[in-house]
Amino acid sequence: MGLLPQDFSFARKGLPIVAVVGLIVAALFIWFGLPERELEEPEREPPRATGELANVPRVAGAGVVEPSSETISIGTALAGLVTDLKVQPGDYVTKGQPLFAVDTRAIRSRIAETGAGVGEARAAISEAQAAIAEARAAEATAARQLALYRNVEDPAAVSQAEVIRAEGEASAARERRQTAESRLAAAHARLDSAQAQVASARTELGRATVRAPIAGEILAVNIRPGEYLSTTGGGGNSQSFIEMGETRPLHIRVDIDEEQAPRVALGEPATVSPRGAADRQVKARFVRAEPQVVPKRSLTNSAAERVDVRVLQIIYELPDSDGLFRVGQQVDAFIPARRGRSTEPSQPAQLSE
Amino acid sequence: MLWIAIRMLTGDAQKFYGLVFGIAFSTLLITQQLTIFVNLIERGASAVYNVPSADVWVMDPVSRTTDVNFPMPATALDKVRSVPGVEWAVPHLRAGASVRTGDGDLEGVSVIGVDDATLIGMPRRMAAGSTDVLSRPDSVIIDDVGTTRMFEGGQDPIGQRLELNDQRAVIRGVADAIPSFTSQVTLYTKYSNALNYVPGTRNRMSFVLVGSADGIAPEVLTQRIEEETGLRARTRDQFARDGVDFIIQNTGIPLNFGITVLLGFIVGVAIVGLTFSLFIRDNIKQFGALKAIGVTNSKIRGMVAAQAGLVGLIGYGLGVLGTVGFIWGFSSNPTFKGFYIPWQVPLISLGAVTVILALTGWLALRNVLKTEPAAVFR
Amino acid sequence: MSTGPAPEHEAIAAISTRGVTRDFKAGQQTITVLHGIDLDIRAGELTYLVGESGSGKTTLISIMCGILWPTQGEVKVFGTDIYSLTDTNLVEFRLQNIGFIFQQYNLIPSIDAASNAAVPLIAQGMDRLEARERAVAMMEKLNIGDQVDKLPNQLSGGQQQRVAISRALVHEPRLVVCDEPTAALDAGSGRRVMDLLRDVAVAEDRACIIVTHDNRVFDLADRILVLEDGKITHDGTDMPEDH
Repeated sequence: MGLLPQDFSFARKGLPIVAVVGLIVAALFIWFGLPERELEEPEREPPRATGELANVPRVAGAGVVEPSSETISIGTALAGLVTDLKVQPGDYVTKGQPLFAVDTRAIRSRIAETGAGVGEARAAISEAQAAIAEARAAEATAARQLALYRNVEDPAAVSQAEVIRAEGEASAARERRQTAESRLAAAHARLDSAQAQVASARTELGRATVRAPIAGEILAVNIRPGEYLSTTGGGGNSQSFIEMGETRPLHIRVDIDEEQAPRVALGEPATVSPRGAADRQVKARFVRAEPQVVPKRSLTNSAAERVDVRVLQIIYELPDSDGLFRVGQQVDAFIPARRGRSTEPSQPAQLSE
Repeated sequence: MLWIAIRMLTGDAQKFYGLVFGIAFSTLLITQQLTIFVNLIERGASAVYNVPSADVWVMDPVSRTTDVNFPMPATALDKVRSVPGVEWAVPHLRAGASVRTGDGDLEGVSVIGVDDATLIGMPRRMAAGSTDVLSRPDSVIIDDVGTTRMFEGGQDPIGQRLELNDQRAVIRGVADAIPSFTSQVTLYTKYSNALNYVPGTRNRMSFVLVGSADGIAPEVLTQRIEEETGLRARTRDQFARDGVDFIIQNTGIPLNFGITVLLGFIVGVAIVGLTFSLFIRDNIKQFGALKAIGVTNSKIRGMVAAQAGLVGLIGYGLGVLGTVGFIWGFSSNPTFKGFYIPWQVPLISLGAVTVILALTGWLALRNVLKTEPAAVFR
Repeated sequence: MSTGPAPEHEAIAAISTRGVTRDFKAGQQTITVLHGIDLDIRAGELTYLVGESGSGKTTLISIMCGILWPTQGEVKVFGTDIYSLTDTNLVEFRLQNIGFIFQQYNLIPSIDAASNAAVPLIAQGMDRLEARERAVAMMEKLNIGDQVDKLPNQLSGGQQQRVAISRALVHEPRLVVCDEPTAALDAGSGRRVMDLLRDVAVAEDRACIIVTHDNRVFDLADRILVLEDGKITHDGTDMPEDH
């Protein structure tokens, strides 16, 4: 106790000091030990209705981005191997631009084959024409000889037999000409037929090349050269060969719960933000509401979503937003509600604004 | 005179320490037990307080607490979003599942699905890793207390593979969260993942977490949500209170702790009362002499009050210090994770100590005040 | 020593009791302990109050120094009718004007001798250390100046009594009341205490009443009052023969 003053009393001074220090320590401990329970703003921006929608009646819905033409699944008219793929995803194609072609070798050989038939028919025609000419010449010779014999007055000068032979020659020549003429007609017919076959094979060749039905963007290419395509669909899986659609502009398809549907102010623009970038909101122009209310299919969560709610689908047109929205992306949309009337059938809502 | 009073008090070391011990013991018992009680029942609210950003919780009308919930259809989210005054709303899934650990053990866990895009629903802080890991496939984040339960050998949980509802889950982070009442292992994951981890029912969404717009009180908003959607909406504090009430109603904890606190009070009254009475009785002649000499009753009261005050100060200080030491000493124990001393508790024990001292001091003082000064001549 | 009646210039007695009666209730019965005591105590005298146990002397002395209410009668101390004062004023009056020496001293065991002696000054509101200095001076007068730092239980009985006397005198009261100061002492010590009290307690304007039945010191009194069964039966400078 040498350090302490002379009359230091543990009970009277030490303990109260200990107690007071203890209380201060306890107070600090309690103060700094209090749990953090104050509210804080979320770190990442959640989708929120902003601006004039913040405190007025509104309807929220989730939607997906789609092309304004809706998505077109390109098919093929001919089955066959893919030999030529002319586009890749992201390409912007014009109407009629070739997309891909299936194997044309069989068609091309048929064209060659039918082309040969045309030549053959043409040869037959020339041959027939030559035969006709030759027959005509023989016929003329025979006719002149016969006329000569007929004009000879002197019967002795020309035997009867000679005359008969000359008559026979003349008719034989005529028959030969007639035969050749019918052969010519047949050869013409063959030529027509062969030409028709060539034309048909050429058409087939055209069908083997698939062309863009509209101008638009290639969204997905699910075929590769060498794959066999069947005309009945995607060869066992349900993927389409090529998906394309008009992405200028993009549309969104917003699902509105059927209970909320009557509240929607149709025709008003919607405030839309993509998932994960809720701070980048755009105004989307109303296009139309689908006439049919369908079972909810989109898409807020799992693939095997099974819900018994039905939704009204409303289509909005997105403004050009420089890659912010992409086809298939999920979006959160806020749409103004119709004013002045409560539309909840079971729950009379009180919109106090 | 107060100096004399204090000297009189500390002059009798035995009784002085007896008094200090009595008060300190009472304070310790009351403060410590109340602290544990409050913390224990607040475990019922930990799930609510672990979500730092939600003003309002929306749920099916039959849901009662974070753990006793009935899922809603997915469109409830849009309904809530449609309510004016709702700044934002995100889905939140809480469900139980069984997990198979890498060692093949089975463990019951709660799976919490937080909003995919914003991760609202995650605790405020991470103990290891970052919440960004949830963007990797099959990621889950485990809570820190759950780590100690699930990995008793002390191995690093990060990278451990689990099997949840036949799906693979990889622990990629540890969240710093207050455990629930049952200290069940909690796995945080994205909402869309959670749907796969939890065996499917038709409706899955347990809660919609709502942030209220500026200038709208959460209480007003809850009312509006309830009116417009037919769902049940509770503010954060109300819902925390619900969790606490649920534990109070369904366990014997309040009774048990109440009994202990009462015992602490009674022990305090008994020890302090007896010792104080003995002390005063021992000094009754001195008090009588002082009264005869000319010390007024009010000064005598002041003296006894000073004595009681000193005893109270020291005993209370030591008792509270003891509680702080207890909480501090056990703060690293997972069972006591997040335990704190609510500031009301020391005030309650201060009140109890005051009552004990006032009661016993009054009883003791009665003898002094009754003493006729004339008694000194007998 | 003056044994005659009070001088004319001393208009008021130190203590004057008129018709003081005191009853005690004992169950159903009422016991009258004092029967109309009329008494004047003069300042400057050492007055003995003598009586058997049960004679009522303790009651009388208690009434005279303002700590026990009489059933009837009035008590004036230096002209103040003390029982017409409020409780608080009476306590204050005692504190200012009366010094007590108790039979068992009633020192506070946990404070040192000088602090014990300083208690009346402290109770009057004086700073503790200043009061203690004055108490030390008083104790030096009583020849126990070397014991000031000791606790009461470190002192002998005689030293404790001197501390008690210091306490009774430290605030210079006008009336000193002393209860059986010699009871626990042998004859020699008793006489020394009485001599001491004569020296320090008796002064021109101070009265000193000593309750005793120690016949060894009766010769030191200026005035002896004998109380029997609640009545003054003797008032003189000496004890009557029958005692």
